[in-house]
Amino acid sequence: MTAFPVKDIRRYGVLYLFILPMLLIVVVFGIWPIAKSMQMSFTDKGTSLSLAPVYIGMKNYIKVFTDPYFWDSVWITAKFTVFSVPANVLAAFLLALMLGSRQIRTGSLFFKLAIFLPVVVPIVATSVIWKWMYNTDFGAVNAVLTSIGLPKWGGLSRSNTVLWSLGTVELWKHVGLYTIIFLTNLQLIDKEMYEAAFMEGAGYVKRIRFITIPELRPAFMLNFVYATIQFLKTFAVAMVMTQGGPNYASNFLSYYAYSKFRLAEYGQATAVGTFLFIIVLLTTLALRRLMRDRDEGSRS
Amino acid sequence: MNSRKLLTAAVLLLAAAGMMFASGSNGNQAEEGPITLTIWHDLGDKGVDWFNEVAAVYGQNHQDVTIESVTYPTQQWIERSIAALNTNTAPDIIFNNYERVIKVEDQTGKIMDLSREFSALPKTDFLSEQDLAISKYGGKMLIFPVQRVQMAFGVRKSWMEAAGKSFPGTWEELTALSEAFQKKDGIYGLALEAANPRDLIHMLDLFQFGTGIKHTIIDPDGNLTLDDPAHRDVVRKVITAFRNYTPADTINFSFAEMYQVIEGSRAGMFRVGDWNVNKWDKPDVLNGDFVLGPWPALNPGDKNAVVIGGMRGAAVPENAPHRNQAVDFVKFLLESEAQKLSFQYIGASVRGDWTLDLSNHQRFFAQPQHNLIAYDFPESIHPFYPQIEEIYHRHLLRLLEDKNLNIDKVIDEAKADIEAYIRDNT
Repeated sequence: MTAFPVKDIRRYGVLYLFILPMLLIVVVFGIWPIAKSMQMSFTDKGTSLSLAPVYIGMKNYIKVFTDPYFWDSVWITAKFTVFSVPANVLAAFLLALMLGSRQIRTGSLFFKLAIFLPVVVPIVATSVIWKWMYNTDFGAVNAVLTSIGLPKWGGLSRSNTVLWSLGTVELWKHVGLYTIIFLTNLQLIDKEMYEAAFMEGAGYVKRIRFITIPELRPAFMLNFVYATIQFLKTFAVAMVMTQGGPNYASNFLSYYAYSKFRLAEYGQATAVGTFLFIIVLLTTLALRRLMRDRDEGSRS
Repeated sequence: MNSRKLLTAAVLLLAAAGMMFASGSNGNQAEEGPITLTIWHDLGDKGVDWFNEVAAVYGQNHQDVTIESVTYPTQQWIERSIAALNTNTAPDIIFNNYERVIKVEDQTGKIMDLSREFSALPKTDFLSEQDLAISKYGGKMLIFPVQRVQMAFGVRKSWMEAAGKSFPGTWEELTALSEAFQKKDGIYGLALEAANPRDLIHMLDLFQFGTGIKHTIIDPDGNLTLDDPAHRDVVRKVITAFRNYTPADTINFSFAEMYQVIEGSRAGMFRVGDWNVNKWDKPDVLNGDFVLGPWPALNPGDKNAVVIGGMRGAAVPENAPHRNQAVDFVKFLLESEAQKLSFQYIGASVRGDWTLDLSNHQRFFAQPQHNLIAYDFPESIHPFYPQIEEIYHRHLLRLLEDKNLNIDKVIDEAKADIEAYIRDNT
């Protein structure tokens, strides 16, 4: 067991002092609200926000866990995350390969900007635009489809198409960030490795498989973890574009919690929030562990 | 400078900052001398303008009182009000729809009972029994009712005339007019809304009360009404209207999207609230090209009406910083001059004994010549109403999603779920 590093603290006191404000910010704006939210999840809804809340044990959790719509939300969120995370990471990887290649040096900056721009545009604004693009009657998506003789796309108004539609928006919105992370890491790969492999007769696919992918392992891990957190917490697109509809088909866990807030069911809302927090935490830890084990396995 | 000195300096700096914050947070307003009454509402800029105008009139006899109104988005208003009342940082007055004030009272129990103040008012005969009933909750008079919200049925005038039809008074006339409007590409019969958590029920409420049938889900005695034959019939017709005469995306429509359909001239018939009229009379919106009337009678013999769909009022927190002055201002909101300004700015009031140069559409609401029916405000009687309403809403949405679902079967399933909820939670 490691002893408490009192010596280190004495030695680097000034550094610790400089970290202190940030630590306070994390505690006050990060940890404290989470703790308060967890505390609220055990209170009666009528007293949740009062100075003397009444504690009702696990009742809020039981209510939530026995609501079939909660489990529908869990299923919708899980399905969306499982499809979206690999799709985003794979798309970002392929985009990074293309943008990093020598063949498209001309205009490379333009393409990078074009791919990254959605990341910095507010999600609410882009969601509104996408919503109109998906409009069944006059949206751009259906205008294109019908002009080439294809049937209209259900878009946001059908249960069987809404997740695909939102997934596309989310991909467009986030892929730029993952691409930039891949691109940055791509530039750090030693070019001599490619030259050596080329001299040995390795083709493009082999070079990608045996050099690029292993060297990008940390970037893959970062993107996977970040994307998983991102998609488990999907909220804004549902809020702006579908309000959880149609008929609850995009009722993600975060939106389900928000609906409880709107009904002033603060205890249940925070119970869902706590559940989501634990799921995100466990998934992130599991992914980290998985990647580390693989890393160690490949080294030994 | 060595590290010890640096550490001491930093600690002193933090301590000084802490003292500054501490002194800054102790900012109670002085009780004597001129005071500022703070009002929280969700009426947006026009609400701020209205309160400014009312404050100017009130200030003529109360030079020592200034009024500051602050507008918040609705959900933020609810959460802020609850938190402020619970932590003794309440504003002087909170102003909103009665059901939202109930939510605040539920979470705080700190809204003042205004019964004594109300009974001391010299003139209250402009308020009906229904108005007063919804002002009360849990034995308290929570709000002074200030703005009665009316919702009528509107039809695009020029379109109706071009179709050679008259204002629809029955279901058959409504469907015929819808069919006529829909002959034009991209035009729908109706603009409705159905998004979570209650927009579809709001539409159902309007058609149901508009045709003269009360209690959409439950009556005041706690009996479920949603499966009564007359109620079922209305649901069948409203769902048919949704399925056949609205845009496919309506299932996700909330107020904003519904307004876009109306103001974008994509639907011929729609809900018109008294607060919509000022905007829709303007040349760049609908240019006044709509006729107002009661909601259609959906069954033969129904006595159709315009629906009183809500009540906005002013409440005073028990821990308001200037309680007495706040009560005085709230009383003033019911005086004729303040009521006139209320109609002028918000389009709604509870008394009409004032003169104003009104447009035809404004006069329709201000001096009603039609039947009026009040929504039954079940939230003020059944605290669990929002929950059972959400259950019903979920079932009704299934009917929009799957056009082959049997409407009566879904109503029965909804009833069973609502019964189970009430059994388990009350």
